Amino acid sequence: MIQMLSGIQHTAAALNVERTRLDVIAQNIANAQTTRDAQGKPYQRQVVVFETALQQSLATGQTAPEASLRVARIQKDPRPPTLVYRPGHPDADAHGMVAMPNVNLHEEMADLITASRAFEANLAVVRSARTMAMQTLAIGKR
Amino acid sequence: MIEALFSQPHYLAAKKALDAVALRHEAIASNLANLETPGYRRVDLAPSFQAELQRACASGDKARIAALRPVLAPDPNALPASRDGNTVHLENELLQLTQNALTHALETQLVTSTLLRLKLAITGRPT
Repeated sequence: MIQMLSGIQHTAAALNVERTRLDVIAQNIANAQTTRDAQGKPYQRQVVVFETALQQSLATGQTAPEASLRVARIQKDPRPPTLVYRPGHPDADAHGMVAMPNVNLHEEMADLITASRAFEANLAVVRSARTMAMQTLAIGKR
Repeated sequence: MIEALFSQPHYLAAKKALDAVALRHEAIASNLANLETPGYRRVDLAPSFQAELQRACASGDKARIAALRPVLAPDPNALPASRDGNTVHLENELLQLTQNALTHALETQLVTSTLLRLKLAITGRPT
């Protein structure tokens, strides 16, 4: 296929990955107070792990690197749940302590901003690729 | 005979530089895509290309200019931006992106003006 917008496949992959990340952050924030999931345990924060195969393809000497940014996995944050004293809560233990999810709202908000900025940076690449393509198409015209 | 029309050294050099700009845009796209991939090392045009192009232009050897191939390579001088070993700096990349787009505008104009001059020489009237 003719490659009109150079580098567009990396950018598309990155936009996808950032979207996944925004989804996971939304899920974390939504479940910040969930004390009981399907297994009856407090919700555990999810983290998106990115990976790339670009370096490998460069090492093999290809000039056009493959689009290979992807979500390696979505894993659980292993940090322990925070214990809050709430004796009236149905999920409280014998001492009146409730295990709340290990979601830190401030952390999630910071992540949310980083993810949306990264998304914008990739959109800037698309804009600039489009301008370059238009200029290329106008070669020979006044 | 017709070959000679399109083989002036500066025209060939402008075309090569245009190839390099397109490839560089791909490198910047991949750098920005991997802004948060742990351990990713930023790629850029191999620094030898610029030097080679300059030397080839100075020599005026058309075959030498035509044989140049821009390639991408991991940037050896980039310093890690964070503790995960990623060497992409967002501001830096966006700056390079703008710079690259401007270079592209310049080079397309160079190519266009060469073609328009040729056309003027052929037809004898400005289009």
